[in-house]
Amino acid sequence: MRRFIHHSELARDSRFIRQDNITATVLSTLPDDVDTVVEVFSKLDAMIEKSVQGTEALPLYEEHGPGFGLITLNEPLDPDDPVAATRLLLRMHGIFVGELQALEGAGRSLWDFPDAPWEFKMNMARQCWDETRHVQIYEKLLRHVGGYAGMFPESTFLFECACADDPALRVAGVNRGLEGLACDVFRDMIRYAEKTGDDTMRQAVDYVLADELTHVRFGSEWVKEFTQGDAERFERAQEFRRQVDKQFSFGGARSEREDAAIPIAWEDRKEAGFTDQELEELKTLSAQGPSKDTLLAAARVLRERHRARRAAEARA
Amino acid sequence: MSEARLYPGTGPDERTHFAPYSAFDIPADLRELHGRYDVEATARRVRNFRYAEEWMMMILGGWVATIPELPVKTGLGKIIWESAQAADVLGKRLPELRCGRKAVAASESANTGFARFVEAVSEPDRPDQTIEKLVGVFDVLKPHLAEVYERQMRETDQIADAPTIELLDEIVRRTRRHIAWGQEVLDRLCDTDGARERRRVRGEQLRELLRACGGVTGQLG
Repeated sequence: MRRFIHHSELARDSRFIRQDNITATVLSTLPDDVDTVVEVFSKLDAMIEKSVQGTEALPLYEEHGPGFGLITLNEPLDPDDPVAATRLLLRMHGIFVGELQALEGAGRSLWDFPDAPWEFKMNMARQCWDETRHVQIYEKLLRHVGGYAGMFPESTFLFECACADDPALRVAGVNRGLEGLACDVFRDMIRYAEKTGDDTMRQAVDYVLADELTHVRFGSEWVKEFTQGDAERFERAQEFRRQVDKQFSFGGARSEREDAAIPIAWEDRKEAGFTDQELEELKTLSAQGPSKDTLLAAARVLRERHRARRAAEARA
Repeated sequence: MSEARLYPGTGPDERTHFAPYSAFDIPADLRELHGRYDVEATARRVRNFRYAEEWMMMILGGWVATIPELPVKTGLGKIIWESAQAADVLGKRLPELRCGRKAVAASESANTGFARFVEAVSEPDRPDQTIEKLVGVFDVLKPHLAEVYERQMRETDQIADAPTIELLDEIVRRTRRHIAWGQEVLDRLCDTDGARERRRVRGEQLRELLRACGGVTGQLG
């Protein structure tokens, strides 16, 4: 078996459809400018259209065009929102495939780094079991809210962004970047479940969040251990984590900004070993990117263009 | 009349009044001293077992990403953790067998042949090789380990080496559960003659390698 596989090699059964990762990663590179966002998503239109075929995202694409993700991603989960059910399904499915990739990332850490210290292997093996349970939990929660595995396209950008070839960077990316994002998202899901009185969801996600804190803690400890006495490697690991955090902020959708869909779970992250300085950094870098108003304005333009194109196609 | 003695004195007439009772009478202890392996041999075998468990954990971890069947991916997660726990308790036994405090992470292949066998188990990489992957672990390696562990438990000194027996007892219990799971999955995946033939051929190839190197301890047969 080879070491260090490419994210496109993550194996899935026939229910799953892959989406090009650029549609997720591009958000972290966009300026706060409507025209640029429209231009970039117009260029991605053909790719997005292809990836939604045969999935429940097709009606969303048909209604909103290539910017449908901007609308769903950048609005908080609000039970009173008329499209809350769709937004919940999209998020739940995103978490489900995210857990799958976290499982695969932890598993690959066992194979990719055979000479790592034994305690590291123990932590990664434990994480495999935990992520396995998370996949099972979210598959059941997905069904609980009316969804199913494979209903939306899967982007493998979590695995792509986080799985570096250096174990210090790998744990910085997977255990602190990816699992840190999970802390933010799950705290938000718990708030949603409390608002809707869904105790099944609240309790299950609360357990998952407890596990994620442990995984972040693994990451915090192993970054220190792997980079001990090597300031340059430590700085590389920190820089890698910053890059991952920026990409996982989806252009500000996960941030401390007032218009953020997913706030940073400050207290959970502190308990998991993030320092105040790291959290301040995260607050700053996650706030960069287009504002919600910009993204919604771009989504409106994209929708109008899409409808115009469809109308022209119908006439032809 | 003198009171019955509660504690023995220094002379033969100063014994206590308690009736003689061997700790081994009830329940009857049929264990006998002396086993097939001395401390050094047991330590070497524990390092061999640990080698197998550690590599199995790493191989299964690597495969999770390249196996498309979701229930197989998720089924492997717990087995990875339990294999890691097996390697961990085996390692913790080593300092107790005079291997030094740093021996807790010591793994050792019995010979190069067994290392090559483990490499052969790990070879399947592609997503269309789930059968070949699972056969190596659940049809060949784990059944072999369960058998060797059980023999070790029977043949080692039942009293002096009881801590090894205790930890193997728990590992065997879990290993048997893993085998049952893996073989059920393989039965489900091998639902055509062609797939059953792949399972048979792969199993035979690996069993031959295992026989040739003498198994996990290098002392098979």
